[in-house]
Amino acid sequence: MSLKSKSEAYSNPFGIPQSWRWGSFGEALSKYNYFTYLENSLIYTLGTIVITLTTGSMLAYCLSRMQWKFNTSVLFYVSMGLIVPIEVVVIPLFQLIKLLHLKNSYLGLILPYSGFAIASCVLMLYAFLRSLPKELEEAACIDGTNVYQAFFKIIFPIIMPALVTQCVLIFIRIWNEFPLAFIVASRDQFRPLTVGLLSFFVNVGVSDWGLIGATMFLSSLPMIIVYMVGNEKIENALTAGAILK
Amino acid sequence: MNKYFSTKTSIFVFASPALLLFTVFCVYPLLPEIWMSLQKHDGFRSMGFVGLENYKDVIASPSFWKAHKNTYLIVGISLLLGIPLSMMLALFMEVQTPKLRRFFKSAAMFPAILSVTVVSQIWLAFYEPNWGLFNSILKSIGLESWTHSWLTEKKTVMPSIGLVFLWQYIGLNAMLFYTGIKTIPKSYYEAALIDGANFVQVCLRITIPLLQNVIKYVLILSTLGSMAFYSHVRVMTAGGPGDTSRTVVYQMYYTAFDTSEFGKGTAIAVFFIVECLVISFLIQRFIAREKLEF
Repeated sequence: MSLKSKSEAYSNPFGIPQSWRWGSFGEALSKYNYFTYLENSLIYTLGTIVITLTTGSMLAYCLSRMQWKFNTSVLFYVSMGLIVPIEVVVIPLFQLIKLLHLKNSYLGLILPYSGFAIASCVLMLYAFLRSLPKELEEAACIDGTNVYQAFFKIIFPIIMPALVTQCVLIFIRIWNEFPLAFIVASRDQFRPLTVGLLSFFVNVGVSDWGLIGATMFLSSLPMIIVYMVGNEKIENALTAGAILK
Repeated sequence: MNKYFSTKTSIFVFASPALLLFTVFCVYPLLPEIWMSLQKHDGFRSMGFVGLENYKDVIASPSFWKAHKNTYLIVGISLLLGIPLSMMLALFMEVQTPKLRRFFKSAAMFPAILSVTVVSQIWLAFYEPNWGLFNSILKSIGLESWTHSWLTEKKTVMPSIGLVFLWQYIGLNAMLFYTGIKTIPKSYYEAALIDGANFVQVCLRITIPLLQNVIKYVLILSTLGSMAFYSHVRVMTAGGPGDTSRTVVYQMYYTAFDTSEFGKGTAIAVFFIVECLVISFLIQRFIAREKLEF
């Protein structure tokens, strides 16, 4: 649709375009802050992935391997996070973000996203870590490494497959997250693609479908590329979660 | 060695960052939410404690119950239509040749990775009353009287949005079922074939009972996912026409941010969180039975 002229988009919206017009893409790029939104989306997604995976895997390690009398209660506490959807706590979350002066900063979305992603990350890594033999750290222990080195040098590489799975799950979730970003990222320069795209559509109105098609295509492009490159991995990652549980 | 590794310091270092993040951003907001729901609040300051007044108002308002009807319509669509359909799709994928299967797998996952905004915009074009895909097809096969202005008529708006949601996630669920199917030992099927069972019998007697765990996972995922249904409505109709397509979460947003009644908005949220808890408890209690060993 993005390749058609304005009038053709109306008369023949779903057929092959009669004359190919690439102009919509140029117009889209100049009117639509594509690169800003793309950069924001990337920052939010990667930030969330890094924070969730590091803190989440550490907690999962602690719960599965260390002797701590609160192990089961903490596990139960964290699993409650699976039930509460982020949508319903948006109001107090919004005020908390304002209170912490995180509104209009990247951390204002990254930290809540991480908080919400931790529950499923911890539960999945916990199941994975429990299936690993204890001898791994015993050997390290005899060699005289401390717990931090043992975790980052021995455990971290071993749980990589599970981390990749979580990475994909978080990526899909945060890249497409809409409700919280819609409320928190009110300033244009902090908007991710999903929200930026909507406000762009609202501004153009429904008249120029060529332009809308072009921006839609541009916004989906990163995801399409990621999907084409890692399609097998994504499928395996997504389904690994179902079997573990 | 466990003693050597689990000192108080190391437990603290490993457990505290995640627990802090989780508590501050995921659990703590529930407290101000409950507190706010007991006050008259405009989002900036409280105008006094009103007790359960907000809850009474919310429960008495017809919009709130209309929103419930819409939310449970979506839940119903995704459970009663979505799960059986994606199961059929998974069974169908299983009997394809490897090449076709690759194609179906990619096609199935594709809508789930597109963003809500893009998906909704594509379907806005399908539903467009004058030149949209559906009305064009209906006109070209001579069913002019069946055409609708899908998203602005009260009767068609919710099913239309439900269809979009169904379309976006059906493939993902099918993929989950499909991987579950692959873990079932082949010998079961061979035994069934020797006994002369047909395809439908095999599905009903072997595949579906042994998929219990995956079915449970998908059930919880789609129930909670469709309970929180909001974004599609926001993009496609903004709750319109009037309040006909508002879901509970939309009603909550609308009450809080559009009419500045944060007390009532949070009352809706608290009410709804309790509903989510009850429903996940019911699923755990009645559907999650012990694991089948095979």
